[in-house]
Amino acid sequence: MEKFMKWIEEKLMPPMATLAEQRHLRAIRDGIISTLSLIIVGSFFLVIVNLPIKSWEAFIEPRLGDIVLPFRITVGLMALYASYGMGYSLAKSYDLDGISGGVLSMAAFLMTNIPLNVVDKATNTELGWIIPMEYLGGAGMFTAILTMILAVEILRFCKTKNITIRMPEQVPASVARSFEALIPASVIIIIIWAIRVMLGFDINNALMKLFSPLVKIAGNTYIGILIPTLLITLLWAAGVHGVSVIGSLLRPIWLVLLEENMQIVANGGVAPNIGTEGFYDLFMWIGGSGGTLALCVLFLLSKSAYLKQVGKFSLVPGLFNINEPIIFGAPIILNPILAIPFIVGPAITATTTYIAMKLNLVSKVSVMAPWTLPSPIKAVIATNDWRAAVLAILNFLILLAVYYPFFKAYEKKLLEEEQQKEVA
Amino acid sequence: MKVLMVCSGGMSSTIVVKAISEEAKKQDFPLEIEAIGTTQIMEEMENVNYDLLIVAPQVKHRLDYFKEVAAKHDVPVELIPPMGYTPIGAPKVLNELIKKHEK
Repeated sequence: MEKFMKWIEEKLMPPMATLAEQRHLRAIRDGIISTLSLIIVGSFFLVIVNLPIKSWEAFIEPRLGDIVLPFRITVGLMALYASYGMGYSLAKSYDLDGISGGVLSMAAFLMTNIPLNVVDKATNTELGWIIPMEYLGGAGMFTAILTMILAVEILRFCKTKNITIRMPEQVPASVARSFEALIPASVIIIIIWAIRVMLGFDINNALMKLFSPLVKIAGNTYIGILIPTLLITLLWAAGVHGVSVIGSLLRPIWLVLLEENMQIVANGGVAPNIGTEGFYDLFMWIGGSGGTLALCVLFLLSKSAYLKQVGKFSLVPGLFNINEPIIFGAPIILNPILAIPFIVGPAITATTTYIAMKLNLVSKVSVMAPWTLPSPIKAVIATNDWRAAVLAILNFLILLAVYYPFFKAYEKKLLEEEQQKEVA
Repeated sequence: MKVLMVCSGGMSSTIVVKAISEEAKKQDFPLEIEAIGTTQIMEEMENVNYDLLIVAPQVKHRLDYFKEVAAKHDVPVELIPPMGYTPIGAPKVLNELIKKHEK
């Protein structure tokens, strides 16, 4: 086990961490994180619509379109917001003007969508130019990432090669800056315009097709759920924030899957995807990565004075899924005894949850709930299904059982040490 | 002394920061300490002058990035040892801060 821990720390972690810290991936991560609050708020309107009360449903029915509107403007335009956030972050990381980066990225992304001049058939009134929303949400996420990189890299290229319109010094800085962006902006717009309009190449559609096998594996296969679960706990066992590393790589895909579920539920269907954003927080990370709430409870009941103390200060953060206190307090990291259940436990609950969802015993995630909500409550909100709370509690009991023997072994070791200290 | 602590989302660092500032009060050490997540660090350091940036152990893989940001403002960077990143590790971290301050 010690050898294995060493292998994680020296062989597995460095390349993963380097990859996650790669400049473009970092910008993608930060840009996407900036949209999460909108997605949480927007998805709550789905909860309102789907409350399983008969009289409420009848009341909602005629107002459905109006009530779902905030959802459409937030979640439905997810990729648009992300394109700004990501462009801003990437530009900032190059020491370029963040706002220019964000705006150019957004313009490049919007250029991939062709507005239509629409006439309302029912009233025969002209509605004017309308941009179809199909690829402005999750379905356009990969395009938003690609156009963002293109836009900011062109901005940077022009800046470093000094290809820019320079203003005399008397011109205020903010005015000069708007002129500086002229050349990169025209290059970016012309490139995408040429691809999309002149060549008639539908970038959104092509990228969606290209990524769909990957999205399918991540969303609807056992292996696609188990691998991220294992990688996250392995990284944490080596002392590195696993979700932040793996999430950098997979969060765009998890969000695309969640958005697909949301859209289908908003249109009255049944959510199809399992491995979405939220899936891991809800059923595996009960009390934080590794499902450590169970361990907090065991520590509280411990005879070891030290573990009891750790249990005391870890329990409340643990209820809200913050577990650094127990991870570094116990410690779990680089601890061959506690690292085993930390890795094995979530792998088992990933399996039970996958089976429960595959067999339609529990609904899939269709609402983004804040990850800090205590587990069973969060599970019910996010799936709109009371059975999710039963599954969350069952998973908690499984984690309790997996941690127990390792907790006992560790407690025994600490008790011996504590007694030796007293004697000395 | 003005210190900024960075972790991943700015959640767990709040817990540790609270413990450290309570400990500082006990020892009468003049300490202003704030907690922040990775995504906000660039802006925070542009807006506020800190004497020191301390990095939570679970984001050590981002140390190079933090050093890059801090270097722009001439702020030194320290990595917190794993055992220091808990409420009971706070006195140890505070001692390190005091030592740094006296230098």
